[in-house]
Amino acid sequence: MTRPAVEAPPIVELSHASVAFANEGATTSAVHDVSFSVREGEIFGIVGESGCGKSTLAQMLMGLLPGTAKVSGSLRYKGEELLGQSAEEWRRLRGNRMSLISQDPRAALDAVTPIGHQVAETIRAHRKVSRREARALAIAALADTGIGRAEERYGDPPHRFSGGMCQRVVIAAALANQPDLLIADEPTTALDVTIQAQILALLRGLRERSNMTVILITHDMGVIAQMCDRVGVMYAGELVEVANVQEIFTRPGHPYTEALFGAIPSARRHGQPLQTIPGQVPDLSKPLAGCRFKDRCRYRIEQCDQPPALAEISPSQAAACWKRGSFRSGGDRRD
Amino acid sequence: MTTIFEGPPALQAAGRLDYPERRRLRSLARRVGGAPGVVGLLLLLVLVLLALGAPVVATHSPVAVNPLAVLQSPHGGALLGTDELGRDVFSRVIYGLRTSLAVAFGSVALAVLVGLPVGLLAGYIGGVVDMVLMRSVDLLLAFPALLLAIVIVAILGAGEAVTILAVGIIFVPIIARVVRSAVLVVRGHSYVKGARARGASHLRIMATHVVPNILPPAVVQASVLTGFAMLIEASLAFLGLGVQPPTPDLGSMLAEGGGYATQAPWIELAAGVFLALAILAFNLTGRGLQRGLGVRDEVIQ
Amino acid sequence: MTSPAGDDRAVLRVEHVSKQFGRPGLLGRAGRVVHAVNDVSFSVGRAEVVAIVGETGSGKSTLGNCVSGLLRPTAGQVWFGSEDVAQDRQGRRSQLRRKIQPVFQDPRGSLDPRWPVERTISEPLDACRIGTPRERREKVASLMERVGLPSFVARRRPDQLSGGQQQRVAIAAALALDPELLVADEPVSALDVSVQAQILNLFESLRADLGLAILFISHDLSVVQHLSDRVLVMYAGRVVESGPVEQVFDHPVHPYTKALLDAIPAADPSDRRVPVPLKGEIAAAGSVGAGCVFAARCPEAVTACTTTVPPETDFAPGHRASCLVAAAARSESASSPTEERLTP
Repeated sequence: MTRPAVEAPPIVELSHASVAFANEGATTSAVHDVSFSVREGEIFGIVGESGCGKSTLAQMLMGLLPGTAKVSGSLRYKGEELLGQSAEEWRRLRGNRMSLISQDPRAALDAVTPIGHQVAETIRAHRKVSRREARALAIAALADTGIGRAEERYGDPPHRFSGGMCQRVVIAAALANQPDLLIADEPTTALDVTIQAQILALLRGLRERSNMTVILITHDMGVIAQMCDRVGVMYAGELVEVANVQEIFTRPGHPYTEALFGAIPSARRHGQPLQTIPGQVPDLSKPLAGCRFKDRCRYRIEQCDQPPALAEISPSQAAACWKRGSFRSGGDRRD
Repeated sequence: MTTIFEGPPALQAAGRLDYPERRRLRSLARRVGGAPGVVGLLLLLVLVLLALGAPVVATHSPVAVNPLAVLQSPHGGALLGTDELGRDVFSRVIYGLRTSLAVAFGSVALAVLVGLPVGLLAGYIGGVVDMVLMRSVDLLLAFPALLLAIVIVAILGAGEAVTILAVGIIFVPIIARVVRSAVLVVRGHSYVKGARARGASHLRIMATHVVPNILPPAVVQASVLTGFAMLIEASLAFLGLGVQPPTPDLGSMLAEGGGYATQAPWIELAAGVFLALAILAFNLTGRGLQRGLGVRDEVIQ
Repeated sequence: MTSPAGDDRAVLRVEHVSKQFGRPGLLGRAGRVVHAVNDVSFSVGRAEVVAIVGETGSGKSTLGNCVSGLLRPTAGQVWFGSEDVAQDRQGRRSQLRRKIQPVFQDPRGSLDPRWPVERTISEPLDACRIGTPRERREKVASLMERVGLPSFVARRRPDQLSGGQQQRVAIAAALALDPELLVADEPVSALDVSVQAQILNLFESLRADLGLAILFISHDLSVVQHLSDRVLVMYAGRVVESGPVEQVFDHPVHPYTKALLDAIPAADPSDRRVPVPLKGEIAAAGSVGAGCVFAARCPEAVTACTTTVPPETDFAPGHRASCLVAAAARSESASSPTEERLTP
């Protein structure tokens, strides 16, 4: 598994990005002051539970937020500022230099159009090729994602395919124009475990062949462990920790990350109670003061009423916590 | 120490001046779907009160003929003038509104009385019962509404009761369908399965789970239909097939008034305006309720 | 066919249950029959957690519905005590049915959106006319405490509750009739990891404190590993392997079980393995022809696998699997003294 060189330039740089929605008088802060960068060729994971803002973040990265969303901050892609660009400029990027695949493959596909055409459409939207060339390229893209007899099945509608196959079609369309960046939002959550393994293997293989950068959004810690180089942890709209994958698992720098891992069931803890996090995610439509995790954190101190910024623990790890890295009673967390 | 308005957000919120009555009104307003719903309901209320209070509100008897006061334009003695038989237009319009509203409410009530149980049983029991019930009801849909109404009137003769029956019959399949789809949705939910596992009889489930949950779409559909009912009733009356003279009716007034459009436009105008207001009121209320109760657009026909 | 606790202590005994959907061909036309569940037998003992795992089309949910009485099996018996649930004619009224309670996957759909929490929990008592109104209120309060719901949520509606709280309400309602067996179909799949942990802890405490037996249907193997005592692995309607959970997960016998375990992404970045993905798609239950249901995708299949339905064989105490190849391999290494019984 290739790891990107440490000096690889960042391909995506997000700075103090925030997304808010106004709704019947209340403003919901869905994403708040998130900053991270992703290096070329790496697989960057974003993990969090429901309501943490990861999907909103994905939409923001692709310029797919509704007009009612208030976006602020800076999003640089290969040095160019993307936030605030026109719809036409976004359209030129999407499906071309950056692509998105989502959780429900069937929802992403047009139910009445043959799969081959859907891939070919994406190709022709961004490249000047003839219909025949587009068709050939589409067949190649489909075959690349492991769809056997791609030429024969080119004209089949999506309902002839299983969920896993549909996701392959979606991936084919997403990668047909060889984007530099792929954003995968829970790409395997709706799939069975054995199919998930196939899709993850596919993504890994594709990344290796083309050095594509992937931002992988998921709630599944196992997927994170197997796929990602670096990981960002989101909670209540904020990025609470960023570290490389080993650190996240063995030396989490934020109490939420630690609690999250404590909650994963496994064979080794058979019969023992799992660690739970008391309380609930705060209501993002109400004003929030200080650390958003403070009401549920077992290490809370008075200082937590002030919002902690994302600060370094080591060159590779940063956490938004006043007690970052030093809240555990002893050394590394071992399960 | 800082001022009393600092501290945790909850405390701050508590400190905010907030009149409880205002809050309750606001939530009520939201329930009926905001501005359109409130306007619609108020308008409806006004119209209904006018209609109910006809004996009090009307200045004259709606049927009193006065050959000496034919086709007078609006003046002190006759707020909206008089028609070709010297009858006071204002009073006729008020009573006409009453008739139209009665027919509209009556027919929708009939449609619900028949359509709700049909849709409920068809959706809940399913299978053969569903097929039989819905096919029979769909037969009615095969005919254009007005045509069907005309046929019924032709067979049974014109009049208020027959009009109610005719319009009601037209609406039965619509109510039945909306109810049936809603029932299917509810039936698919796990809480129905759970209730069965926990000892609830089908009857109990229908009464306590299904019916309360299908009421929102049913209510919305009913209110929208009431507006249409007025329209159909007015059309029938316009054609002479609905309520018969001398009973005042907005539709027939439109018909009669049409003949005097140049000489006495106020007849047509008055009837038309009130009719339009009533239909508008029902529509606004219906859509407002839809938003307030959270019923999706596709559900309503 | 014994449960570890012994036959007489088994709370539930499922024997040769099958469930078909669709209609057989009429008048010479080919029918479409789906064998969603095909000849499944197992038992569950008191305070035992038995898991049924499988992917889409495995038949696990259909099997669960047959056990909880929501579906009637086409063949076989579901023994609860000395009565057959499958043949129970009294339906919901029977005392028997109340002892087996379902818990569903979607916490939100499990609750009537218009009902406050206390009414939902009280419903089973109301429907079966148990106790006086005051006794019912007391029972509801104690149930809420049992599942860890604070008393102030009693008047709330489902949309004012979190997913975890909603699921707790559903569980409380399931406990209202003092069941002996819970049939939980993917009860935590729709919940976040941290909330899932709470509900799993709850199940564990119900088992420990009330002696409740749980039939736990899930596709999530790590959850299953954590909570269950025994596990049944299903594929396309059949049980391919069963046994104590550590045994099956540490020493899987059936190629499908192996592939399944292999496919789970391990939550350990230092253990990165590339599983050999299975070829083909998951077979829908009942779509498979003769022979082993897994033969078409199995990396170890031989010709016999496509013609013969493999019988269940013992591989270790309580650990059985249906695989011709594995059975043959085992009998070849016949240096072990344990007998090999071929159970028909």
